[in-house]
Amino acid sequence: MSIADWTVAPVGRATNYVLETVGGASMILWRIMRALVPPRFDGHETWRQLDRVGVRSAPIVIVTALFVGAIMVIQTAFYVNKTGATSLLGYGVGFTVFAEIGPILIGLMFSGRVGANNTAELGTMVVTEQVDALRALAIDPMRYLVVPRFIAMMLMLTLLMVLGDLFAIIGAAATAQGLIGLDWRVLIANLIESHLLDELTMGIVKAACFGVSISCISCYFGLSVSGGAAGVGRATNNSVVANATAIFLIDFLVGWLYTL
Amino acid sequence: MTDLSHRVRLRCEGLSVDYRGRAVLDAVDVEIRANEVVGIVGPGGAGKSILLKTLPRLIVPTRGRVILDGTDLATLPRVGLAAARESFGYLFQNYALFDFMTVLDNVAFPLRQGGQCDDAEAIRRAEARLADVGLARAAPQFPRELSGGMKKRVALARATVADPQIALYDDPSAGLDPVTSSRIFKLIRQMHERIPDCASVIVSHDIDRMRPVCDRFIAIVDGRVAFDGREADLGRAPPTVRAIFEGGLVAGVAL
Repeated sequence: MSIADWTVAPVGRATNYVLETVGGASMILWRIMRALVPPRFDGHETWRQLDRVGVRSAPIVIVTALFVGAIMVIQTAFYVNKTGATSLLGYGVGFTVFAEIGPILIGLMFSGRVGANNTAELGTMVVTEQVDALRALAIDPMRYLVVPRFIAMMLMLTLLMVLGDLFAIIGAAATAQGLIGLDWRVLIANLIESHLLDELTMGIVKAACFGVSISCISCYFGLSVSGGAAGVGRATNNSVVANATAIFLIDFLVGWLYTL
Repeated sequence: MTDLSHRVRLRCEGLSVDYRGRAVLDAVDVEIRANEVVGIVGPGGAGKSILLKTLPRLIVPTRGRVILDGTDLATLPRVGLAAARESFGYLFQNYALFDFMTVLDNVAFPLRQGGQCDDAEAIRRAEARLADVGLARAAPQFPRELSGGMKKRVALARATVADPQIALYDDPSAGLDPVTSSRIFKLIRQMHERIPDCASVIVSHDIDRMRPVCDRFIAIVDGRVAFDGREADLGRAPPTVRAIFEGGLVAGVAL
C-alpha cells in the first residue's frame, strides 16, 4: 500500500461519510417539512411518540438535572466560601445551567435514550420488512413513522429542558443548603435578581435545535439500515456518535449567534 | 382452474431488476388474471420474492413495466401509486407484523389507514377475519407472544382484511411445520374464493402444498421465466423446471 492509501484515503472516506450523513439527515428534514405543509401525519402515532419520547424520558432528565445543579454548586462552593461572594452563587449556577451545561447534558442523555432507541426501532422495522409492509398498505413511512417522531422529539426535548432547568435549580438549592450551609432562599433570590432570561431562552432554543437534529439523524440512520441485526447495531452506534457531534456543533453555533 | 377468458389484472412486460448491484430478474413477462391462484416456484435466489415485491412497486424495476388494470404503475404520481397499492394485499415472508400493536390493531390497521370504514366497523371486520383464521382469542396479544404459525395466520388476516383485488403471499409456509403449512395454504384458498375477482400469487418452495391450491405455475430460474402453465403441461418444460416439481432442484443445483 502506498502512503496515500494510509493518509489521503481515510480522510477521503471520512469526509465522504460526513457529507453522506449530513446530506441524508438534510433530506429527511426536507421531506418532513414537505409533509408538514399542509400537515399530513398520523395523530394517533404522534400521541404515542409524545408519551414514549417525552413522558418516559422525564425521570432520567430530572435525575440528570438534579445532579447538574448540585455539581455546579459543589464546583463553585470552594471559591464562594473563600471569597465570601455568596451572592454570586445563584448567578453562577443559573448562567452555566441554563445556557451551557444543562442543555448539553440533557441533550446527550436524550440522544442516548431516545435517539439510539429510535434508530434501533426503525432499523429493526426495516430489516423485518415492517417498513415495506407500510408501503404495501399504501402508507408513506415518512408521514407515519418519521414526522410523528420529529414533532415529539422537538416538542418534548424543549419542554424537558424547561423541566430540567427547574430541577437543576432545586438540586442546586438543596446542595447549597445541605452541603455548604448557604440558605437556599439566598440562592434563589440571587438567581432571580440576575436576570438570566437570555441564557434561559438560549438553552430552550438549543433544546429545540437538538430535538430537530436528533430526530433527523436517528431517523436517517434507522431507515438506511442494511445487513440484518449487525446492521442495526452499526447504525445505532453511528447514530449515537453523529448525534453527540451534532449536539456540540449546534451548542457552539447557537452560543455564537447569541453573542452577535 | 385458469380461465383465459378472465381479464388480465396485472401484467409484467420485459421486467428486469438489478438489486444491490446484482441482476436478479431479466426480461420477465408475466400475466396474472382475475380469479386465478398463481404459484411462483424456483430454486432459492432465483428472484421469486424480488418479482413479488416488484409487482406493487415496493422495488422499482430497472427496466420494463408493471401494468395494473391497464395502467403502467411507473406513470402514476405518488398519490396514484398509493391508491393503486390499495388493490394489493401482501403477506411478507417474515410476517412484518407491527411489534408495537396488538394482533387486533395489526389486522384493523389497513382498514383504519385506508379510511374505508369507521373505527367500530374496522374492529368488527378485523375480529371477524381473526375468527376466520382461528385466532379470535389472540386479539389482545402482541405479536411477540405468538408462535410462528400464529404470526403467519395474523399476517394472512391482515393481508386479506381489506378484501384486496390482488393478494400476494411470499413464502407463506416458511419455517412452519407440515400441518400448519397445510392449514395456511387452505386458508389462502378460502380467502381467495371469498373475494370476487381476486387474483392471488403465491411464492413458495412447498410444491406439494401448492398443487391443490394453485391454478397455474410460473417457474423462475436464474431470473428468467422458465415455465408458465398448468402442472399438466410440465411435459413441455425444461428438465430444470421438472426437477423443481420433483423436488430435485435446490438453489439451482440438480440433486
